[in-house]
Amino acid sequence: MRSRAITGLGIVSTAGIGRESFFRALESPAPFTGTGRVESFDATAYPGCRVAEVPDFDPAKYLGDKGLRTLDRLTKLLVVATRLAMHDAGFKKDGLYVQSSADRVGICCSNAYGSLEAITELDRVATLEDARYINPAKFPNTVANSASGYASIWEDLRALNVAVSDGNCGALDAVACADIFLETGRADALLVGGAEAMSEALYVGFSRLGALEPKVKDVSTLSPRQRASRGAGALLGEGAALLAVEPMELAASRGRRRLADLSGYGTAFLPPDHEGALIHPSPEAMERALADAIADAGLSPADVDVVASGVSGLGAFDRAELAAIERVLGKDVAVAAPKAMLGESLGAGGAMAMAMGVAWLGGLAPGPLVRGTPGRRVRTVAVTSMGFYGNASAVVMQAPRET
Amino acid sequence: MGATRVLITGVGVVSSIGLGKDEYFRALAEGRSGISPVESFDASHLGRQVAGEVKAFRAQDHLTSAELRHTGRCSAMTLAAARMAIADAGIAPELLRGPRTAVVIGTTMGEADVIASLDHAWIKSGPKGITRALLPKYGSTLLPIHVARAIGAQGMVLTLPAACAAGNYAIGFGADLIRAGRADVVVTGASEIVQELQFSGFVRLAAMAPSRCQPFDLNRQGIIVGEGSGLVILESEEHAVRRGARAQAEVGGYGLSCDAYHITRPHPDASGSIAAMRSALADSGIGPEAVDFVNAHGTGTRANDLAEAKVMADVFGGRKVPISSVKSMIGHCMGAASALEAVACVMTIETGIYPPTIAYETPDPDCDLDVVANVARTGKADVVLNNSLAFGGYNAVTCFARPGVLPPPVPRRANGAVGHA
Repeated sequence: MRSRAITGLGIVSTAGIGRESFFRALESPAPFTGTGRVESFDATAYPGCRVAEVPDFDPAKYLGDKGLRTLDRLTKLLVVATRLAMHDAGFKKDGLYVQSSADRVGICCSNAYGSLEAITELDRVATLEDARYINPAKFPNTVANSASGYASIWEDLRALNVAVSDGNCGALDAVACADIFLETGRADALLVGGAEAMSEALYVGFSRLGALEPKVKDVSTLSPRQRASRGAGALLGEGAALLAVEPMELAASRGRRRLADLSGYGTAFLPPDHEGALIHPSPEAMERALADAIADAGLSPADVDVVASGVSGLGAFDRAELAAIERVLGKDVAVAAPKAMLGESLGAGGAMAMAMGVAWLGGLAPGPLVRGTPGRRVRTVAVTSMGFYGNASAVVMQAPRET
Repeated sequence: MGATRVLITGVGVVSSIGLGKDEYFRALAEGRSGISPVESFDASHLGRQVAGEVKAFRAQDHLTSAELRHTGRCSAMTLAAARMAIADAGIAPELLRGPRTAVVIGTTMGEADVIASLDHAWIKSGPKGITRALLPKYGSTLLPIHVARAIGAQGMVLTLPAACAAGNYAIGFGADLIRAGRADVVVTGASEIVQELQFSGFVRLAAMAPSRCQPFDLNRQGIIVGEGSGLVILESEEHAVRRGARAQAEVGGYGLSCDAYHITRPHPDASGSIAAMRSALADSGIGPEAVDFVNAHGTGTRANDLAEAKVMADVFGGRKVPISSVKSMIGHCMGAASALEAVACVMTIETGIYPPTIAYETPDPDCDLDVVANVARTGKADVVLNNSLAFGGYNAVTCFARPGVLPPPVPRRANGAVGHA
């Protein structure tokens, strides 16, 4: 890919809303220690349920209270992130376009599971009452690109709107899509990232798979290194993160300071040899994706200072990812686990990791670390994501250099 | 980027009017309807009872037993259509294996029957009622994953959930992957199944017609949902030439835009759709005068038809380009719609036959269009546009052309500029 400028960040996360608040939280990167109190659904039926939600999320504070009633949580998270990104990048001021215009700015956003909240709510009505009584105003929320569509409506993004879905790899794949859309002139600038919302269905699904952290009181006291080595189970998270991405020349002509540059992407899919298994952690795919991303950026493995990994507490996937990172970058490279701090936010996961990368490239110390220690000021970050089916993607980010 | 021609060398179809491109297009050319009483769930109390279900599809005829265990109906149709497209392209299995093949599939809901089963079990019996083995089958990206597993593709596996424009998004982006040099072959298209929740949703939106879908007709009563899968094999010209493949069509380019207006209704001034169609022409390096036929989005709603009539008037001026909607025959196959229609566009280029809009009885005077009324028409089919609009304000237009008629490829931008900005 061509190097692209990141000129803004809109983020709604468990560690803060907005770039400044998020970066402040990253000054002391630590595993999630929130109460795990559940606001998005009634968790009384799930004793020991602990998730990393965006605490006290109040979209009205950012969007006003009109028009929020039929929006689901996923949409609200994404629309707030969209508004923040547009203003942080200087495309808008006080809600109005001041640089660029609606028909030249678009959004390319990953999401893994859609609005399970809307789907299950309507299914509940259809099953327990009658499908004739489902709320038509909520029906559009069941399509997977609904949240993205609302983001365009609320923020007037008309150049293009592309929803991307590739599980945990989606937000990194969105970078590759955005690079192509910028190259083909389909937009001047794009908001790129991902969103995922907590819901009862998401919790129940991953819980039934046995993928979540065990119900032991002291799990939050485990260090990220211990969690990674023990495969303690994932802490389910949520949020939305969007990077404002544009060609270098546009950032320069707008006089915007670049927060960081996106410069490489790689992906690979290597399913198991046998037909029996569907779920499959593939270290070979991760290795190939990471090596390709570094080569795509025109760099060598020695240039990578730290990896923003997808390590989440899922033992088999973490081991595969760490093994791949070691094969490409050696055993001493510093590896951080953004998900230890922010939770496993699936379709948003790669975007959260890239948001952390932006902070590190701006001078903050990387963490929470699961391996190694960065030996110098961070100039290059590799972001990695493992899919559940043998897929893997990687992105390379760099500190801005004079062009 | 952009100096490579992208060729379509194979197509595959699972539709309510036929499996495989020959059955499908013969039925379209004959104006046969695939609308019939719903059988996959009990629709007797829902106020509407017909849909374009694919009743002849038996997954076991197309999938291995392991694949049958891993797939819902939507993935099964996708895999079947992929196999048909690959057979149609005559491409050797070893040429599909490896990192230079990508799979990009569009959809609205993906494995909708899997999530319905999960939900119903959960609602009736609580979390413990959920069959664990079913959970991994509800993934966001399983449609392309199943195809990539089957053919050994190791490049990008991506789902583009672009609602009812998803097929055009997938095929357009697939072409971009080749033009960007990220793939030599892309297996792409879109799939959707008819399912109770979305059927009821359209009924509740008062968008569903009782018996027939009548695009551009004054007395239209709305959409009829359908299902199916349409897949195409895209190859770089170099790759196709090297293996001696025959190109059925060229993907000239595509255009995207977003209305940013309403979550379900198209913008009444159609400015987004107009921008998308102009962008598709610019991306293809041609002007509107080159277009011979337009496959309409043509859902059978007044809002859609008026918006599309505005697009045609704006883009083509006084020239009335023939337009038709296959949704009059197979219904609105949602995510799969524009992919099934892309296959129809390729077949139109191959045969010179414009499929008709059936049940077209009373022309809507507000839609001043040259609709291919009730019986197929033959005509010049060098350049064909495929129009689509979707929930979320999504607009996408793809441009397909007879191989050799488009200007030589140059690095070109979707706003019409040539070369890098």
